[in-house]
Amino acid sequence: MSQRLTAQAWAPYVLVAPFVILFLVFGLFPIGFSFVLMFQSWDPVQGVSSMKYVGLENLSFALEDPLVWVSLQNTLWLAVASGLPQHLVAIPLAYLINERLGPWRNAAMGVYFLPYITSTVAIAIMFGSLFSTDYGAVNAMLQSMAQWPVLSTLLPAGNVDWMGQPGTIKPVVALVVFWRYVGFNTILYVAAMQSIPRDLYEAARLDGASGWRVFWHITLPQLKPMMYFGVTLSVIGGLQLFEEPFILTGGKGGIEYAGMTTAMYMYRTAFEFGDFGLASAISWLLFAVILVLTLVTNRAFRVKGG
Amino acid sequence: MVFSIRFLALPFLLCSSVWAQTVITVAAFPSVDEVVRAALPAWQKKHPNVQVKVVSREFADHHTAMTTALSASSGLPDVMTIEYGYLGRFAQSGGLEDLAQPPYAVRQHQARFVAYAWAQAQHDSFGQIALPTDIGPGAMFYRVDTLQKAGVKPEQLSADWESFLGAGKQIKDKAGVFLVAHARDVKDLVIRAGVQAGEGIYYDAQGQSLVGSAARFKRGFELAKRVRDAGLDAKVNAWSNEWGESLKRGNVTVQMMGAWLGGHLQNWLAPQSAGQWRSGPLPEGVATSWGGTFYAIPKKSAQKALAWDLIEHLTLNKAQQQLAFERFNAFPALLEGQAGAYFEQPVAYLGGQKARVLWRDTAQKIKPSRVFRNDPIAEEIVNAELDLVLTKGKSIDAALADAHRLVQRRAQR
Amino acid sequence: MTQQASENKATLGPVGWLFLVLGGLAMLAPFYAMFVFSTHERSDIFRVPPPLWFGEHFLDNIAILMNRIPFWINLGWSLYVGVISTALTLLFCSMAGFAFAAYEFRLKKPLFGLVMATMLIPSFLGMIPSFMIMDLLAWIDQPRALYLPAAAPAMGIFLMRQYIESAIPRELLEAARMDGCSELGIYGRIVVPLLGPAFGTLGLITFIASWNNFIGPLIVMRSVEMYTFPLALRSVQSPVDTQWGALMAGSVVAVLPLLVIFIFSSRRLIAGLTAGAVKS
Repeated sequence: MSQRLTAQAWAPYVLVAPFVILFLVFGLFPIGFSFVLMFQSWDPVQGVSSMKYVGLENLSFALEDPLVWVSLQNTLWLAVASGLPQHLVAIPLAYLINERLGPWRNAAMGVYFLPYITSTVAIAIMFGSLFSTDYGAVNAMLQSMAQWPVLSTLLPAGNVDWMGQPGTIKPVVALVVFWRYVGFNTILYVAAMQSIPRDLYEAARLDGASGWRVFWHITLPQLKPMMYFGVTLSVIGGLQLFEEPFILTGGKGGIEYAGMTTAMYMYRTAFEFGDFGLASAISWLLFAVILVLTLVTNRAFRVKGG
Repeated sequence: MVFSIRFLALPFLLCSSVWAQTVITVAAFPSVDEVVRAALPAWQKKHPNVQVKVVSREFADHHTAMTTALSASSGLPDVMTIEYGYLGRFAQSGGLEDLAQPPYAVRQHQARFVAYAWAQAQHDSFGQIALPTDIGPGAMFYRVDTLQKAGVKPEQLSADWESFLGAGKQIKDKAGVFLVAHARDVKDLVIRAGVQAGEGIYYDAQGQSLVGSAARFKRGFELAKRVRDAGLDAKVNAWSNEWGESLKRGNVTVQMMGAWLGGHLQNWLAPQSAGQWRSGPLPEGVATSWGGTFYAIPKKSAQKALAWDLIEHLTLNKAQQQLAFERFNAFPALLEGQAGAYFEQPVAYLGGQKARVLWRDTAQKIKPSRVFRNDPIAEEIVNAELDLVLTKGKSIDAALADAHRLVQRRAQR
Repeated sequence: MTQQASENKATLGPVGWLFLVLGGLAMLAPFYAMFVFSTHERSDIFRVPPPLWFGEHFLDNIAILMNRIPFWINLGWSLYVGVISTALTLLFCSMAGFAFAAYEFRLKKPLFGLVMATMLIPSFLGMIPSFMIMDLLAWIDQPRALYLPAAAPAMGIFLMRQYIESAIPRELLEAARMDGCSELGIYGRIVVPLLGPAFGTLGLITFIASWNNFIGPLIVMRSVEMYTFPLALRSVQSPVDTQWGALMAGSVVAVLPLLVIFIFSSRRLIAGLTAGAVKS
């Protein structure tokens, strides 16, 4: 019995050992380096020895920098606006695909997964031309729809300058991010639904429960672990959003920087403006925000389950 | 599968090790990488035992990789390609060889290069850290058929900004198309005119912001605002799909950029409008440049002699410079490369105009302006304020005051 | 019996079908556009509206690409790194995920906190210190610098933990222990076979991430022959002069293995059905 207990005691350590070793070698140094960097002034082209200690100057500059706050606002808005719909749509979608499609299941999953693997260059060209002010398909469609009686009061009269106005850049970016990841989340939920025991559904059917009630009372609760995973990922990923806004705004963030996320600003500060100390300070500010929100998510899922 | 891939690579590796005894690395980006590759056959006749590895990366990736390599003083190439926009930062890295020193002693060749390009690669403390290989003399490309339709003479475009705007109104009224792609383009040119010696565009000789004091900024903002208010610009950003489409359809009449734009218009931007475009001087005789490529040798290179030999071949060899121009649109920085029959030839796409001579003359007139580390972000700040003026009706004085403050704040970091 | 029958038939109402089909078309559009663009010349792609039907220039575009990069070698490296990366990740993440899901041990909370914390660090700040490490280890220009550092990604551990928590009942583990199975034996013989859907999902995600990763190879690879395919493809992009058609053709080639992997792994996802049967 004690042999069993000792074996049980060291087993988890053996199992996490690969992660720990890899982290110690490849994770610790970059994190430590970036932390130290926050207190230095450094343009990397001059080599490591050119780092100058500047104490809290980077942090205070970052906190006073209007662009840091603008980018944080943008980031939070985009994270929610693109993340929430992803899950609200992915869960019922996964249910439909898993339960109702039979042999078409794989094909549907494949189609919904395509945006995730499409090259970002193709996405940029495609959406750039779709939302083009004078020549784009979206405006063309809106223009023809605006001819209809009811809609003419709701829709704008001229062409909408999607990428040229601060108010419309964010929704377009959010749309593209939603489009890109909704399929990804759907796959996650399908995988989770695969593991729900079939006899639960059988029992519910025998009790005469309809599709909707089965979904609400059986499927959803069983999905909690995967929901926690998916939502956490969306929170973290959404707050670190970089690629989509970068590509869609041509790397600059758009008019009034409406499309610039904190991660983008950090990248530009580091590699375009050559100020690694400031970039590091900004990244740790962002880390603090992400940490807080991740803890909030954690708390939310604990409370729900009990 | 793993083993078969290794075997695939094996003959490749064997080949290179049998034939070459020395390897030098050239780091570049498109299409400079193609220029270098095209130069290799001639160069390798002189150096048959040297293998040249051209490591090509996308433009921004390349400079990121070079930044990384300089930061760790490791993984540096033997020949480093640097584009003008990054020259300021890389120059003060202290990691590049001073080519004015022996054994390079490049100062003897100074007069053979276009003056401003030479000066751009010179640093107060670190010396001549790079050599220019190609330049982008500014030119104005315009649609002559649109001008005819509107009854505008080309001279009206080049005389001064007033007549430029006047021509724009005529074009709008009679031909119904835009004058320029974006009002910002006008501002960009105006702020580049009248830069004093020792000054940069945004910073003066002491590194203080000029945005609030230099009259050219106010003038640039005013002219841009007038362009926007009169509806003369298409509000499209350069290199977007819409911009390409506007050029193709002739919705934009004038595009002011480096002379290399002619090649792009011809090859893929607007090939069907061959013969409708012309090139002319910029308004008020503004002489400025777009971009420019330079070669440097990192101090950590182990093959400096060979690297220098290759750079000499690329930059000081007339035939090579002309080849680069003819095949890849790389306008020679070497003065001798700008002589010769090719330059005198009429350019069919531009309706038989002898445009190359025009560009050559512009190149001579360009005055060097000092490059500062914070130029990229200063440009950003000024553009952001201009956007507020154009779209939100912010007052020009307030915008310039804010821009000045932000640019100055950056200078002090 | 009855449940198998309903598994094999589509039972969706018309509204559901409409929803799915419209959504599917929206998902498909840029992907389709990529294929169409790859068959056109550069000047046609840049048009607005872009071409909607296939052209004839696919092979020309591929030729341009093969001229600029060692096409097959780059593809080979991407495949090699992707496969090894996926195998290692599945192994290491399932191990760690199992540890966090099934055991109580002293360092459990801080270690899991560490796992989560690593997800919060943005990647590009780590670029330069990563480069320094690779330089120190003399791993520059070597594929192992690409698949080893990220072989136990936090996201994977997190996913595995969640899945094991929900899909593998404790009773099973206890029963195995009573039967005299060693701890690692439990992992290998009981847990791993039940991880079908999770392996499918994580494998897919990992392979795609590895395949599309270009920052890692950008820092570590010094010669074009060692580039992975996305990096090689990017190296054809110029600030003003990109060969769009060739780039699109390359993107099409780059996406095909991902599609194959997807088809392969979605079968594993479905295989989870039989695993679920264990519980009934």
